[in-house]
Amino acid sequence: MLRSQGQTTVRFWIALLTGKSAALLCRLFRHSGTSLPGVVALKVYPQLLSVLAADYERIVAVTGTNGKTTTANLLAHLLRSSGSSTVNNHEGANMISGVVTALIKDWTMLGERRSQIAVLEVDEGSVGKVFPSVKPDLLVVTNYFRDQLDRYSDLDHNINLLRRILDELPQTLLLLNADDPLVVTAGCDHSVASYYGVASEQKDQTGDCEIREGSLCPDCGAFLAYNYYNYGQLGAYYCPNCTFRRPVPDFLASEIQDDDYLEFILHVCQRKGRNENCSTADTVRLRAQMRGFYNVYNILAAAAAATTLGVSQQTIASSLMEYAPAAGRMEKFIYKGRPCTLNLIKNPTGLNEVLKTLLRGKGEKALVIAINDLAGDGRDVSWLWDAGFEMLDNPSIKMIVCSGRRAGDVGVRLKYAGVPPNKIIIEPECKPSIEGLGEQDAGEYHILASYTSVFNYSKLLRKMGKAVE
Amino acid sequence: MRIKVCHLYPDLFNLYGDQGNLLIFCRRAQWRGIQVEVDMVSFGETICLTGYDFVFLGGGAESNLSLMSKELQEKGRFIVEAVEQGTVLLAIGLGFQVLGRFIKTQDGAVLPGAGVFDLYIETGMDRLVGDILLETAVDLQEEMKKTSVVRETPLATLVGFENHAGRTFLGKEARPLGRVLKGQGNNRDDLSEGARYKNAFGSYLHGPLLAKNPHLADILLSRAILRQGGGKLTPLNDELEIYAHNVIKNRLVGGYNN
Repeated sequence: MLRSQGQTTVRFWIALLTGKSAALLCRLFRHSGTSLPGVVALKVYPQLLSVLAADYERIVAVTGTNGKTTTANLLAHLLRSSGSSTVNNHEGANMISGVVTALIKDWTMLGERRSQIAVLEVDEGSVGKVFPSVKPDLLVVTNYFRDQLDRYSDLDHNINLLRRILDELPQTLLLLNADDPLVVTAGCDHSVASYYGVASEQKDQTGDCEIREGSLCPDCGAFLAYNYYNYGQLGAYYCPNCTFRRPVPDFLASEIQDDDYLEFILHVCQRKGRNENCSTADTVRLRAQMRGFYNVYNILAAAAAATTLGVSQQTIASSLMEYAPAAGRMEKFIYKGRPCTLNLIKNPTGLNEVLKTLLRGKGEKALVIAINDLAGDGRDVSWLWDAGFEMLDNPSIKMIVCSGRRAGDVGVRLKYAGVPPNKIIIEPECKPSIEGLGEQDAGEYHILASYTSVFNYSKLLRKMGKAVE
Repeated sequence: MRIKVCHLYPDLFNLYGDQGNLLIFCRRAQWRGIQVEVDMVSFGETICLTGYDFVFLGGGAESNLSLMSKELQEKGRFIVEAVEQGTVLLAIGLGFQVLGRFIKTQDGAVLPGAGVFDLYIETGMDRLVGDILLETAVDLQEEMKKTSVVRETPLATLVGFENHAGRTFLGKEARPLGRVLKGQGNNRDDLSEGARYKNAFGSYLHGPLLAKNPHLADILLSRAILRQGGGKLTPLNDELEIYAHNVIKNRLVGGYNN
């Protein structure tokens, strides 16, 4: 229940009620309403977020480029399974307005929160607005890849931003991806950090198609050397010139199997000093209904965060199997009697992992690749040329329908990637592109869509086909 | 026919998909039966560029600017030498900026450039960001008509996406790539975009530049093969590229770009 007094209380109440009314109206008019209530409420009372956040027992934040939504949703699921009521901005609206909207929805008209814990996915560019207000108890940083560069210019900007914000948050416990030198750089000044990482075992299938960020040592500027790469710039790196190297992970994933399920062994290390090896380690086998190597990092991050928050390994292992991914994260449908998977794509590294995963399927495939260039997608679509579309020059690919406002750019990219022109169809509109897909006689369908089109595809596929729950 | 291509600093200048330009250049050569040999020259390596027919330098993170300026104080003369001897060069974004005379940064420092182009850069407070449409320089348009054997209606425009804090001011020796019809260009004020000197081309356009501008790719290619005694290029089917070009062009000319 609200503890502050006087004038601010009045504005708090007006803001909360305005926000809740906006959420109700959004529902009535079938508007998705993942940000609008927050926008309105913040207009009334700009400090609303800090007041709402202060009331929770625990605030956990997840930021980084890829895997935020999956990691945050999975963590919220694990916390709920352990008996803690948890709210999260599960639809991926991760700017300040989306965070506020999720919390407003968690509060009753009587000014009481329903949940004990808030798990907040926060956009890399919004950490400056959100973190000082919510003061997270635990912060997970997943990775830094090239993403929507026209919105935030360079990666360095985001990394420096997080570094600056963390200076003001000495109490926040960090949980960092040890395998990403850029993440480690962002958190290196902080005293309370633990690390998660993946042991070497993944064979790099694309070779030269890979994008590697941050190849320079943040301390001395020399090129980093690697013992192995997992994907992108994630791997076991060290600086040949100074002492900067991958920290020893407190949470390590090994023996990864990616077949019908994703399976690996989680080692939770107990160690004496920062750079010591584990003196002992608890191990547990984890298994999830997900695919794709990149999801190992997401599951690992969520399991590490849950462990840090006191969830038992038994609970983590048993509830992982019940988890179903969110919209556009390998969402599954049946369309024209064939399996159809919908994936969100937003940057080269994520796209490469999606392509590798879909190519492992044995049947013939037909694809829709839909790219928009609205604010939510990133206005600049040049990143398509950093992705390894060369993989699609493959006999198992029967046809690719290029769609979205940038259907032409996708078509040109595919042509230069070596996809034969007779396998490329241009269909900018959403519904006709799905119909075009349905005309293809292939064993499986795959739809890869950028942010502003993925919800449309999800909605239409529910109507034109059916969702697999 | 065989041409030699150099990808300069692929390790530092690899942002915004610009290396797609190199792929496009190479494919358009190979589709015409021209063999291409590509070398990569990394940061800190010794370079001699006069033996190359085409050199490409892409965009990079601005945090690498001072590092790059230092490297070019030593190595810039090799690039100048090659351009003076007729090597074809394409430089994009930051790669374009470091080839000017100097760069004035936000904090007032002046970093020397390689001096390929007669221009200087001032780093502005805000970034110039968005889709951009140029009317191609008239002499280039004339050259484009002659480049291919047949092209019924050659594109008279160039499209791309700009994203830069630097403002470029051209000197007398540098000619622009085109005139800004929509967007910001070199410095938002004088309607110029990019720079040209001999066979060297510089531009802020990402997309990458050559993806939706196949006619510009062919100018670079035909100038490169000319060095090896090559003649006219055989025409290619550019339907997809021209479609993608026109989608952006029509959107910008039509004035709606939500």
